[in-house]
Amino acid sequence: MKLKYLLGSVVAASASFASAAFAETVLRLDEVAVGELDPAKASDYADSILMFNVYDTLVLPNQGGPGHSGHLAESWTSDGATFTFNLRDGVNFQSGNSMSAKDVVYSLERSQALGSGLSYLFAGVSAEAIDDSTVQFTLGAPNAAFVASMVRLPIVDMAYVEANKSDEWGESLLSGTSAGTGAYAVASHNPQEETVMTKWDDYFLGVADAAPDTVRLRYGLEAATVRTLIAQGEHDIASQWLPPEVIKALSDNGAQLLTETGTGAFYFKMNTTKAPLDDVNCRRALASAFDYATAIQMIAITDSVSAGSPSTGAIPVGMFGANSADMVQAQDMDAAKAHMAACSYDFADYDIEVSWIAEVPLEERFALLMQSNFAQLGIKSYIKKLPWALFAEQVSSPENTPHISQLFVNAVTGDPDTLLYGMYHSSNPGTWQSPEYLSDAQVDSFLEAGRAAGSEAGRQEAYAGLNARLMDLAATIYGFDRQSVFAASNRVKVPAMTDPSKAFGLDGLGFSFRLMEMTE
Amino acid sequence: MSQLFGILVRRIGISVVVLIGVSMLIFAIARIIPGDPARIALGPNATAEQIAKLRGEMHLDENIVIQYGFFIKDLVSGDLGTSLYTNRPVTLDIAQFLPATLELVFLAGIIMVGLGLPLGILAARFRNKWPDHLVRALALLTVSAPSFVWAVILMLLFAYYLPLFPIAGRLSDIYDIERVTGFLTVDTLIAGNFAAFFDVWHHLILPAVALALSGIGQAARLTRANMVETYEKPYIEMAQAYGFFPHRIARLYAFKPSLIPSLTIIGLDFAAMLGNAFLVEAVFAWPGLSRYGVNVILRKDLNAIMGTVLIIALTFLIVNIIVDLLIAVLNPRIRHSTRVQS
Repeated sequence: MKLKYLLGSVVAASASFASAAFAETVLRLDEVAVGELDPAKASDYADSILMFNVYDTLVLPNQGGPGHSGHLAESWTSDGATFTFNLRDGVNFQSGNSMSAKDVVYSLERSQALGSGLSYLFAGVSAEAIDDSTVQFTLGAPNAAFVASMVRLPIVDMAYVEANKSDEWGESLLSGTSAGTGAYAVASHNPQEETVMTKWDDYFLGVADAAPDTVRLRYGLEAATVRTLIAQGEHDIASQWLPPEVIKALSDNGAQLLTETGTGAFYFKMNTTKAPLDDVNCRRALASAFDYATAIQMIAITDSVSAGSPSTGAIPVGMFGANSADMVQAQDMDAAKAHMAACSYDFADYDIEVSWIAEVPLEERFALLMQSNFAQLGIKSYIKKLPWALFAEQVSSPENTPHISQLFVNAVTGDPDTLLYGMYHSSNPGTWQSPEYLSDAQVDSFLEAGRAAGSEAGRQEAYAGLNARLMDLAATIYGFDRQSVFAASNRVKVPAMTDPSKAFGLDGLGFSFRLMEMTE
Repeated sequence: MSQLFGILVRRIGISVVVLIGVSMLIFAIARIIPGDPARIALGPNATAEQIAKLRGEMHLDENIVIQYGFFIKDLVSGDLGTSLYTNRPVTLDIAQFLPATLELVFLAGIIMVGLGLPLGILAARFRNKWPDHLVRALALLTVSAPSFVWAVILMLLFAYYLPLFPIAGRLSDIYDIERVTGFLTVDTLIAGNFAAFFDVWHHLILPAVALALSGIGQAARLTRANMVETYEKPYIEMAQAYGFFPHRIARLYAFKPSLIPSLTIIGLDFAAMLGNAFLVEAVFAWPGLSRYGVNVILRKDLNAIMGTVLIIALTFLIVNIIVDLLIAVLNPRIRHSTRVQS
């Protein structure tokens, strides 16, 4: 009997050892619904996570520094308005088809035809397959930011789409299945519930054994649910949209905090067409009165981790033209009073409308902070809550645009051009990004120079000039440079979000599952 | 039988009119909500050309009457359009999310009736004694807190502190079940996977109880009140005078007439759970129609709003028809009065 028991124990122990040795690792994370799988329609954070894992792009941002390196492309050349990429040999799609220049052309044309997501980045661009491994893009005008925009052109398997599509561009097909070269293939996808991805072992760069075998990306989990799931060990990475108090509570319970330093910032945008803010001195008075230090305290999660870093100017630290990190902006009430005295309007005649987006409760706190700051100067203000949909409509006319609008804006490609051109060029007034209605010839000139510059030094010079000019115009109060914070279990290591030398500096790319390591 | 058929035909006729009215009302209201649906759908980076193109495709530049005409034309051919939120046909979304909600609501309804009615009978039977006080206190407690509060409390108690039940979803990750009907209680049986079948029930219990709790309290209070009133009727006193057993009086003479008003309210509660399930679905990450409905309203997804509201209205009407028929079965006077009217 004893021998039988002993044998049974040995067998059970062996089985358990074997199962541990070959156990499949599962990474569970969540994001806000919906998850758009079609790479040509990707624009939100969840879409980006899917896109960067299921598809690949010609280039990727360098880790830990500026610039880009080849990914599906080995190298490229440019004369400013023409970019020629030499593709890597031996890259296959998950279908087994070989990737070629025709797929790159098809991906561009598909994105332009569907006109969704970030397709506006490729307006006026045409592409031609010179041969199987060379593709040439022709732009209407020189654009130094074009290489950066390549991180938003995922390459789609043309042959697979053409063979399986039920509509002209395979929209139905690619909304439910993957047709990329990525390290992860889609096993199942429900845009409101969950996407399950499995590691694709034939990935052209190979995938480390420690990378998760299966990834379950769930959508729309409530904060209370995520907190319970992480505490129970049933969830690995929470979305950045958790309230700071919940992130802090998870951190207090032992969760690690991952950070992704974005290429964007939090802005208080002043309507430069509406009195009294059409006077630059009035705007400068408000910008000087704002309490930047308290704003940073309001977004602190722990003593060492915050959802943002102090602003140094109009361009986030790390981008071309940014001021150094120690040039932190600070409240200066004496300067505010001096600017107020120079203002041609009497603030007593005006009630400043400070709006906040209803879907972002944090903004209400900033509205209250501003109200308190302005009150110290004797400036009256009132706070108005606006649902995003209504805000987007109101800003289309300067009369309906509030005096002050609060916005998070990110550079979708990591390049300052995609952050600043839409906000400040006079050809783009009255969009959600540009409620300032700024029209300034010098700003336009700097933006165009930054886009056309043929060298990094030229771009640095153009954007530094732009930074100084924007600070002088004070059309925007630059609240803080944004940083996304994610609470995570200790079962996963994410070097791209814990080690600054491995960070990509592009939203969503830190979630490259092939670069993660599961420890259990 | 023919009387019941008459009631059924009349109710269906009224329901069709109600459904058309609801569709017109919601169609108009959905267009009054602030915000351009095309702009919201395409996201903040969309260009003016992209927005104009989508507005054209959605007929948003047409007169509202013409827009409604397009909607009805598509509806007749079974096409509810494409959701701007999920980029899929609305019919596909509804087919995917409705079974999850129905499964949840059906179980919650069964729990509500299965516990609410007996508790009400018990309280009435022992009026002003400790079982009555206990039931009334419990009923008050369950009615006074909304479902989502119960959802969070139940999750904390039975999933966090005592990990007896799963926290989220309809089925554990380890099972891969082919979706045939969308009802996982059925699909797991079709697949012959009994472990998965029990896992589905395991996932269902907490959200269903959370959703049912306030209904249980309401059903118990109503049943008690109606039965207490019935117990005071002369025919009950006569039955007691004849020396009938109390349980026989309760079952045959007190319960049946007391059930009719309760049934109406329970029917309404049952249908209302479809809409109220939203927060319970959110807490338990339940991929149901209620959560989908709230999300599409927030994004002003016109096609999906119409589809969701029509399905909820249709379910509401079907439940009402069933309740009306049950009441007619229980109360002959209603059958006869209906015959006289018709």
